[in-house]
Amino acid sequence: MRRLLWPSVFLALAIAYPLLLASPFQQRLGALVLLYAIAASAWNIVGGYAGQVSVGHVVFFGCGAYAAMGSYAKFGLSPLFGIPGGIVIAVALAAIIGVPTLRLSGHYFSMATIAVAETMRLIVTNTEWLGAAVGLSGPTVARNVFDLSFISSLPYYYLFLGVLVITLLITWWMTNSRMGFYLRAIKDSERAARSLGAPASRTKLYAFMLSAALTSVAGALYAMMVGFVDPESGLGILISVKILIMAALGGAGLLFGPVVGAAILVPLEEISNSWLGGKGAGLTFVVYGAIILLIARFQPGGILSLINRTVGKDRKPARAEGAGHAP
Amino acid sequence: MRFKHALGLLSAAAMSLALAGAATAQDKTVKIGVILPMSGGTASIGAHAKAALEVAVDIINNAHPELEKLPLAKNAGLAGLSGAKVELVIADNQGSPATGQNQALRLITEEKVVAILGAYQSGITLTASAIAEKYGIPFLTPESVAANLTERGFKWFFRTTPIAPDFVRIYDQFLTDMKAAGAKTDAIALVHDNTEYGSSVANTIATGFKEKGRAGVIDVAYPVNATDLQSQVLQLKEKKPDVVLMISYTSDAILFAKTMQSLDYKPPLLLADDAGYSDPSFIKAVGKLSQGVFNRSAWAVGPAGSPSAVVADMYKKKSGEEMEDTVGRQMQGFFVLVDAIDRAGSTDPAKIQAALKATDLKPDQLIMGYQGVKFDDKGQNVLASAYIIQLQDGENYVSVWPKTNAEKAPMLPYKGW
Repeated sequence: MRRLLWPSVFLALAIAYPLLLASPFQQRLGALVLLYAIAASAWNIVGGYAGQVSVGHVVFFGCGAYAAMGSYAKFGLSPLFGIPGGIVIAVALAAIIGVPTLRLSGHYFSMATIAVAETMRLIVTNTEWLGAAVGLSGPTVARNVFDLSFISSLPYYYLFLGVLVITLLITWWMTNSRMGFYLRAIKDSERAARSLGAPASRTKLYAFMLSAALTSVAGALYAMMVGFVDPESGLGILISVKILIMAALGGAGLLFGPVVGAAILVPLEEISNSWLGGKGAGLTFVVYGAIILLIARFQPGGILSLINRTVGKDRKPARAEGAGHAP
Repeated sequence: MRFKHALGLLSAAAMSLALAGAATAQDKTVKIGVILPMSGGTASIGAHAKAALEVAVDIINNAHPELEKLPLAKNAGLAGLSGAKVELVIADNQGSPATGQNQALRLITEEKVVAILGAYQSGITLTASAIAEKYGIPFLTPESVAANLTERGFKWFFRTTPIAPDFVRIYDQFLTDMKAAGAKTDAIALVHDNTEYGSSVANTIATGFKEKGRAGVIDVAYPVNATDLQSQVLQLKEKKPDVVLMISYTSDAILFAKTMQSLDYKPPLLLADDAGYSDPSFIKAVGKLSQGVFNRSAWAVGPAGSPSAVVADMYKKKSGEEMEDTVGRQMQGFFVLVDAIDRAGSTDPAKIQAALKATDLKPDQLIMGYQGVKFDDKGQNVLASAYIIQLQDGENYVSVWPKTNAEKAPMLPYKGW
């Protein structure tokens, strides 16, 4: 029961947040935090738990975004119908990419994923049917509620919150299943895990595919809120990097790590841009980068691992390192 | 210990952010939101635009009797709002459609701007203006040219810049005049790259020319940032078109000029569609090999003392750069927007929208070479236009068409090197 206390408190706070802070910009900020928390949590499955640092996750994000916008722009359907399509394409693509690249280890895997993402961006840029360099836009004036084109950010906020809860439940279920134990074993030492009979390649591939499916949902939700996707905003490598940094900052391999990371970085980026962006000279990125640097220097395991350890120390001094499974 | 340390640093950072953010509140100002790329690959565009808009604010807020032909310049502040001053609230779109939208929302709901100008990249103009539409705030784009922007049935969206169909009209009239002056203009070759800009503009021109009865259009495509353009030049050399129309970015424009020289090919009339041919680095690199090239531009410095010359001078003092087409269009769009606010005599968005719809500016009230500013139902400026300029001394373009604005007569045929 005690284990459920903090998640319930946070969930209650998340539900109450937009009702307490009523400004439209703060509500939208909240929705963006949840959106990136979904994407970073999805990345966490393969990047955090399995230790396979993918920098090409934007490919799956783009699958979802393009499927959602495509179902409207090409078939006149609600962008919602794009979600299953996006998931199918993302999972298939993950299988195709995963089989050869997951054999690579460490940096080589990361590099291969970057190459795939950039190739995809170039292909889409030159594909007329997908809007090429112009991009695809969604419904600007909603025909009905299923077009998900709202003035207020509130509907997006609660939709994203629901999807985030589902994503976290899937992750939590996975970590406690056989697959989760395999993944942690592979992360610690793939060779040892293999020698003990853990099906390393297959487990990594499944994690990659699950992660791809959830990332694709995040992409579709993003496109629905923004109402537009082009190669740069749907398949640009910076999105991958952003997702990765959020997970790492909060604590990769921890259930709530990516949520904490998103809750810090998204407001930081938006608020610093709001205050400093208009002055030019890229001050936003200086502040943003400096804070990431500070955290990387003083707490490379992620903020959540720090909190876990501090709380753990206070409560049970004998098991200081026992809380969580920080890397 | 380490936790406290990091926390201290973080709160220090947060505090400095808070201090930097403390905005100064002023009374009797009209806030206008501006969304621009202030960081990333196109940051220089944002920096130039910021300087240009600050010049425009200076012209509006202070008395400038020397510019009395321009609306709002003569007296200080907005006469229609009992001398209220204009204030810019500039936001960085970071080159991202989502950020552009966030900033549009912030400008409207937190900064309470009465209208928004922006956002350079067509994709960001698309998403940011959707927010303005939902909130019922006027959004004017002075520079985004994507055709679909004015096809969305928006009621709060306005565009002052000329777009591809305007280019068709300009080139058609120009070629008709050149034909009257004795040049052959029957066979036309469209040379373009495969980007969104190159292919969409070439498409619009090809169909537009066909509708206007110009049949002999040859299409010559090439991949952007080409390393070799010999086959395209040889193709032109073989087909011998009377007019070659270049739709190219800078590096390809330079390579074309060099390849044409090495293969000794000179079309009788070489016409360029702005872009690479307006880039100062094109003129530096191959201006001497491109004598007599015609180019499209809505900006031309008039004689000393004319409004455009005075404005160009103020801009150069502010930014250290020469005024050119893009910043000129941005400044012009801002003037149109503020003029509407002044005529509305109110900061009520609906009244500003009505005033924008009633806009009817004459050419001598503008700094750009438009035939005026008047919006159609879709919000497009139907009088948007441009000059044809020509590189006559290898270093500077002079305006040669239409005749009313011409500094010099057009020089034919194309001289090259």
